[in-house]
Amino acid sequence: MEGVRLTIALIIAVVLQWTLRNIAEPFAYIDFPLIIVVFAALQRNAIRAIIFGTLAGVAVDALSGGLLGANGFTKTLIAFLVSEIARRVYLDNLLLRIPVIAGACLFDDLVYYGLHRLFGQPPLGDVLVTMAYSLIGTTIAGTFIYFMLQNFAADRVRPKKRDIFASRRLTRRRNPIRLNK
Amino acid sequence: MIALLLVNFILMAFDAREITSGQRVVRAWTQTAADFVQSPVTSITASISNYFTSISNLRSAQDENGQLKQRVQEQEVELKQKEELASENQRLRSLLDLKEQSKYKVLTARIIGRDPSVWFDSSIVNRGSLDGVALNMPVVTDGGLVGRVTAVSPLTAQIDLVTRDKSGVGAVIGQIGESNALGVVSGTSKKDLLEMKYVPGAVDVQVGQTVFTTGQDGIFPAGLKIGEIVSVATGSATTPHQIQIRPAARLNSMQEVGILLYEPPQRTEFEQKLPNAVKPK
Repeated sequence: MEGVRLTIALIIAVVLQWTLRNIAEPFAYIDFPLIIVVFAALQRNAIRAIIFGTLAGVAVDALSGGLLGANGFTKTLIAFLVSEIARRVYLDNLLLRIPVIAGACLFDDLVYYGLHRLFGQPPLGDVLVTMAYSLIGTTIAGTFIYFMLQNFAADRVRPKKRDIFASRRLTRRRNPIRLNK
Repeated sequence: MIALLLVNFILMAFDAREITSGQRVVRAWTQTAADFVQSPVTSITASISNYFTSISNLRSAQDENGQLKQRVQEQEVELKQKEELASENQRLRSLLDLKEQSKYKVLTARIIGRDPSVWFDSSIVNRGSLDGVALNMPVVTDGGLVGRVTAVSPLTAQIDLVTRDKSGVGAVIGQIGESNALGVVSGTSKKDLLEMKYVPGAVDVQVGQTVFTTGQDGIFPAGLKIGEIVSVATGSATTPHQIQIRPAARLNSMQEVGILLYEPPQRTEFEQKLPNAVKPK
């Protein structure tokens, strides 16, 4: 069920990325697919996150003036790295996830820019300014989206009866064989 | 993961090779698929934003109304003068036995998507190869040159703006035939400025002069307005001027563009044999 929800969230994120720049230019600085890919990676399911990263990246690249596969490459790499970090470090708190999305955004921009330089297709605009705006936009939007996903979309596990009531102290059964000793 | 990274890397290498010429097959078909989502969403969002814009515009409408009435009266006088000039022009043309011929058709297209990546500034329009759009066709607005078509799918086409760093347009300052200030206009690191290179330092160049295409680049026809000079770092007899141009077309607020169904003249046999010439497929 969680996989279905994340897939729907990813599709919505890609559609938002395709369309929101038509409404207002500043929306371009928010990387919606990256936010969802990092969230998927934080669920410690590396394979799902990596596949999400590739699909979302290629979908964004298809309508972009940049190289096809550049976003796919960076998001796949980020999905792997974040899921590996999430396996080793406790990152289930929203506050701890803010630096993760910020770091992922910076890394994504750096690798994306580097790949385009490598293939002789330098992007437009001032690199540092674009990265700074992108970092601010994606981190703020990511924090809100993670808050919403955690509170409204996460699987709510119904507490078991034994967790609700205080556990009765059980006396230890003595081993009748050992009683002789 | 390594397999997926490799796939993406191969896609990039393939795309980088095909970016200057040839059909970008994967991109074209992905754009076609995306068009089914993007077109309706764009229509809905555009109508909503237009509704709110029209409400805000009503506030200033009354003041504008008075000014416009005055301008209409002035323009009526101008119009009568121009009608007289047009009829005179018509008579002279008929005397010279010249026929008015349109060199190329203009196909109106609506922008249905902007570049989803912040690093680039291409646009997607709702006309594709089924409407007769082909690679490298020039794109214009009533203001001036916008860019060229860089990828075509059956229903959509991708446009790269003139401000893109890699683009280069053969240009002249002032009218062709009257000026020898020839050069190449290309994008800069700033999104709203163009740079004109290779204009000889000995030629007189002034801020405010208009720059037009020459038609010598084999992509754009001659006489399209590119923009206006905003700054000149004067060169010398041996060094060229450094000229910055503001594009004539309002690239950030375009809603509709015109695609010129223009095919550049065939290159001569000699030009096609040159080592860096693009070989026909």
